[in-house]
Amino acid sequence: MGSRGSGLLFIAPATVYLVALVIYPTVYLYYMIFHSLNPLFDVTPRFVGLQNIFTLLQDPDASYAILAMLLLTGITVPVQLALGSLLALLFTSPHLRGRLLLRSIMLIPLSIPAVIVGLNWKMIFFTYGPLNTFLSSVGLEPQPWLSAPFGHPFNTFFVLAVLDVWQWTPFVALAVAAGIESIPPYIQEAAALDGATRLQMIRHIVFPLSKTVIIIVLLFRLIDSLKIFDIIYMLTFGGPGNITTTLPFYIYKVGFTLTAAKADIGYASLLAVILLLIATFLVMFVLTRVLNVRRVVWE
Amino acid sequence: MDRRVLGLVITLGAWSLGAIYLLPFIWMIGTSFKPIGEWGLPTLLPENPTGQNYLEILVTGGVYGVRGHFPPILRYLLNSVVVSVTVAILTSLLGAFTAYGILRYRAGGTFFANWILSLRMIPPVVILYPLVVLTKTIGLYNTLGGLIFVYPVITLPIVTWFMIGAFKSVPRETEEAAMLDGCTPFQVFMKIALPQASIGLATSAIFAFLFSWSEFLIPLLLAPSESAMPLTAFAGYFSNQYGILWGPLSAAAVIISLPVIVIAIMIQKYLIRGLTLGFIR
Repeated sequence: MGSRGSGLLFIAPATVYLVALVIYPTVYLYYMIFHSLNPLFDVTPRFVGLQNIFTLLQDPDASYAILAMLLLTGITVPVQLALGSLLALLFTSPHLRGRLLLRSIMLIPLSIPAVIVGLNWKMIFFTYGPLNTFLSSVGLEPQPWLSAPFGHPFNTFFVLAVLDVWQWTPFVALAVAAGIESIPPYIQEAAALDGATRLQMIRHIVFPLSKTVIIIVLLFRLIDSLKIFDIIYMLTFGGPGNITTTLPFYIYKVGFTLTAAKADIGYASLLAVILLLIATFLVMFVLTRVLNVRRVVWE
Repeated sequence: MDRRVLGLVITLGAWSLGAIYLLPFIWMIGTSFKPIGEWGLPTLLPENPTGQNYLEILVTGGVYGVRGHFPPILRYLLNSVVVSVTVAILTSLLGAFTAYGILRYRAGGTFFANWILSLRMIPPVVILYPLVVLTKTIGLYNTLGGLIFVYPVITLPIVTWFMIGAFKSVPRETEEAAMLDGCTPFQVFMKIALPQASIGLATSAIFAFLFSWSEFLIPLLLAPSESAMPLTAFAGYFSNQYGILWGPLSAAAVIISLPVIVIAIMIQKYLIRGLTLGFIR
């Protein structure tokens, strides 16, 4: 229907716009890789050749940040998928009372701004905050939740991981529940007539038919998990030391805070390109292997 | 009997999980009404409720001796509203336009559709510095216009993909008939397709609003002063600058969250669909 030309007219405005907003910055990013710009001393970028790459190879903080990001994603996303799927079964159980209200409550963590989630927990985790006051009132040891809970600074990383699981499990649960509910009821009714138990139905009907949904959820969790920033900014600011400094936050520190040891916008650009490559690789892997865009859109 | 026990176990289990989600938020609302002495207490509701925190954070600003004073947030709230509403209107229209081209004309093919989708993936921190340079170059740095200019990088991919889903359920036949009657493609889009996808359009506008409203990192660096800084960025800045003023901070947090929660519950049916860009319906 219609000509090819009018189709192009429809996508032209967005294309022009996104070229300005995305392509230009990306090109600039690659330009900056070979330059150095310290906002304190330099006015314009200085050409430094491959120096940023050498810096990267000798920067233990950078390798730590990459590992921390992958570790955070590697811990939280599988846990969210597992817990969320279980929760989805709970949500779709015919025995559950007050389902609608419960689902509304579950919307809170995924709809309020991440900054506010961070702020809320920052107050709760505060040394003299409600959580510690509560713990001491029931005779338990208060913990420095955001600096060295249970005796070791690294445990802060797990506090963050638990929080991320808390925040995003409802998203997985609601999405998978939506998937389960879109399974035509007659399939399960037929299985019930054949004498299938609830567990058998979950294993042989619900799970196989929810697979696509779970993969889509995995894709979105993966994408957003590699972006986590707001919560870290609010709760730990990458600390204690650099324990919760994941790659996105390290880029922020290097590029936008003057206090970082290697504060340099050129170097931050290189790190940004690394992040982009990692994200692209992971997401493309999921996209090309499991999601067929052509099928989703046009068929 | 057995069934009833099972039902009770499931309901109790699910609701205790619900409590884990509700309690922090109730505590925050409670704290926003607490006088200074009660801020850190684990009590959910204030013993001596007061509107002082809201008055200070919204209107008068606050003076707390050693910790100095903080400004009222009205200006930041206004910034948030102006930016989010404008971005919602602009991106939902532009996104609908683009989605229509992708779906009906296959304009740009799989590559273009994929490319738009892949933009959803870019962590904002990656392109932040170039965007700072860009907005400085065209004179939009630290202005509301600058944020309105930049936010579609987040919202446009979401809206476009959401609208692809919305247009898919619009029957092609009426559009083809209008075409035969001599309407131009643009007229068909405006008069036939868009009205039929109006619920989708409204929903995608709401999503663009929610995403703009929640954005933190971009305004933190692109709009660092009162004239353009939105409320989310201010909340982050405030909590670092003025420390443990939990009362007013909670009040600000409630003001930021409440509209979002009301909207989220209202569009509950579409929320997951929107967050997954229409992949899960």
